[in-house]
Amino acid sequence: MKKLTGITAAAVLLGSTGFAAAADGAVSLESGKDIDMVLLPKFLGILVFDQANEGAQEAHAELGNPGELLFVGPTPENSTAGQIEIMTTSATQGQGAVMLSNNAGDQISPSALAAQKAGTKVVTWDSPIPSGEGEDVFVAQVDFGSIGVVMADMAHSILDGAGEMAVLSATPDASNQNAWIASMKEVLESDEKYADITLVDVVYGDDQAEVSYNRALALVDQHPDLGVIMSPTTVGIQAAAKAMQDEGLCEQVRVSGLGLPSEMASYTMNGCAPEFALWDFRDLGYLTYYTAYGLASGQLTGELGETFTAGRMGDYTIEQDPGREGSKRILMGPFTVYNAENVEAAAK
Amino acid sequence: MKNAMNRLRSWEGFLLCALIFIILMNASLSHQFLSFSNVINLFQLSIEKIIVALIMTFIIINAEIDLSVGSMMGLSACAFGVLVQQGVPGGLAILICLSIGVLGGALNGWFIAKVGLPSLVVTLATLIGFRGLARVLVEDRGINDFPDWFDALGQKGIIAGVPFALIAFVVLFVILYVVLQRSGFGRKTYVIGTNRDVADFAGVDTARHKMIIFIASGVISAFAGLLYAARVGAVRGDVALGFELDIITIVLLGGVSIFGGTGTLTGTLLAILIVLSLRNGMALLNVTGHIQTGVIGLLLIASVIAPRIDLSRVFGGGGQQRTQK
Repeated sequence: MKKLTGITAAAVLLGSTGFAAAADGAVSLESGKDIDMVLLPKFLGILVFDQANEGAQEAHAELGNPGELLFVGPTPENSTAGQIEIMTTSATQGQGAVMLSNNAGDQISPSALAAQKAGTKVVTWDSPIPSGEGEDVFVAQVDFGSIGVVMADMAHSILDGAGEMAVLSATPDASNQNAWIASMKEVLESDEKYADITLVDVVYGDDQAEVSYNRALALVDQHPDLGVIMSPTTVGIQAAAKAMQDEGLCEQVRVSGLGLPSEMASYTMNGCAPEFALWDFRDLGYLTYYTAYGLASGQLTGELGETFTAGRMGDYTIEQDPGREGSKRILMGPFTVYNAENVEAAAK
Repeated sequence: MKNAMNRLRSWEGFLLCALIFIILMNASLSHQFLSFSNVINLFQLSIEKIIVALIMTFIIINAEIDLSVGSMMGLSACAFGVLVQQGVPGGLAILICLSIGVLGGALNGWFIAKVGLPSLVVTLATLIGFRGLARVLVEDRGINDFPDWFDALGQKGIIAGVPFALIAFVVLFVILYVVLQRSGFGRKTYVIGTNRDVADFAGVDTARHKMIIFIASGVISAFAGLLYAARVGAVRGDVALGFELDIITIVLLGGVSIFGGTGTLTGTLLAILIVLSLRNGMALLNVTGHIQTGVIGLLLIASVIAPRIDLSRVFGGGGQQRTQK
């Protein structure tokens, strides 16, 4: 009853005064609710997803949930069908919530809608459902629009204001990747500052190290004047940096994008990847868990404007997703740009 | 021949025992396993693969292989997406996609049956070619604005909660069962698979026979691709990528010899039920994808080895030399 009045109070507060007052009405989640949850990554065997799992496990322990937190995912070659299968199975099992980093595009929607109908909350993180159908809320790591600015800025600084850039992405239908690339294109076109930077190509390495490595080398062959490879994926940026290092091309072509300090430190120090950015996947897993726990235990309603406290990370508010009309998001932000000065400390 | 029939019967008997064992295990470990909705889901999650597995049984008994089925599924699904997006009515789009299946199958069949190239090579080429076409059609987009009736067909039950695709599977199974196990066409399929030269000398038009089977494979794959598009309500270039391996795995597990001439649709059906129950059971027990793949792989190895050990006893090993070269 107490929590109910809390929510009502928050809703009333928000209704009358809007976002500014949100901090006062933040819902504090009661711990100890028994809720089974599933953390479903794009596929298994990627470090950042393991880190997200660590964050979720941390929140799981902190909230004292006697239920089970499962980390299950498909194999890389079976990602789409596997995610649909796990989503369907979770609904059958009566899981309280599925936390999904979507790799199936809109193909996940029918199974996600069915899961919601069966009473399972669907919280996406890292990569949302493009249409928003079947999704309760998306926990966004950073503002998708601002990633474009950061990538454009890194390219600008590496190229010293002028030169050719190519993008090495993950899979052609990863909605997060596409949104970031689109946002970067927009920034490049709209701001005079980037007038001398040309985006010459966008290629896909499928988030597999070997494919990405070969795609990076192919880019250098096809574009002799290429100055920077921008890879907004941790697998791609590392593979590209290794390719440039192996072929002794680091003087000519630099690598940048989104990478993990622990994987990128050596390339940053030797100049192959002088600058890159990322957010903390542990925090993302942690915040996602709090969100899903709140929704599945009924302590959060998932309404726009609702604010809650996510443990050590502070208060967050459910808001309209500017990139996807009619969908909701919780914005984690901000992210860190790593260079020779701070990368080694972060890699530890 | 009689020994072979006995062996076959015992292999199917073995599959049946394995199936019963798996179902009992699943039912005791997970109380959701035998629920109506889970049984429907169990079929729905792989419905496109198991439909194609039926026609793949014909192909492999005929001593051929069709690696292009997954790509044809993808091509058909993507073609449907693009057509609907261009404003073509859904019904007409479906007809066009099935026609693409006929053409693709005829292309395979022509090279294999008339030109005489090995099906492994021809369908490997069309595996790449059909997939390439699918990717060219949709580029890097996803398409999801299908007509509502089309989505409903793939996602909702039409008779007593049973979805259209599952009914189509059952109907197709009955038809193909009669054709393979009870008709002259079926007998020819076995004869050609056992020894094409003998069939030729006996006056069987083997080229025409193979042509028909490959066209059937193309059109059924195209149909399955449409079912996939309806079930997930969206398509993109990688639809059904790699499905051919799962499909062939099921058929081989069902006791169909990769060298042709032996196997039955009953065996394929049992293998389908085994693989689906096993996967579903493991999923309900939260076994991750890597281990699931490993278990299915072990099953396949067992299915290839078990009959061979049996055969070498029956024929004293002599019958194996030819195939091991």
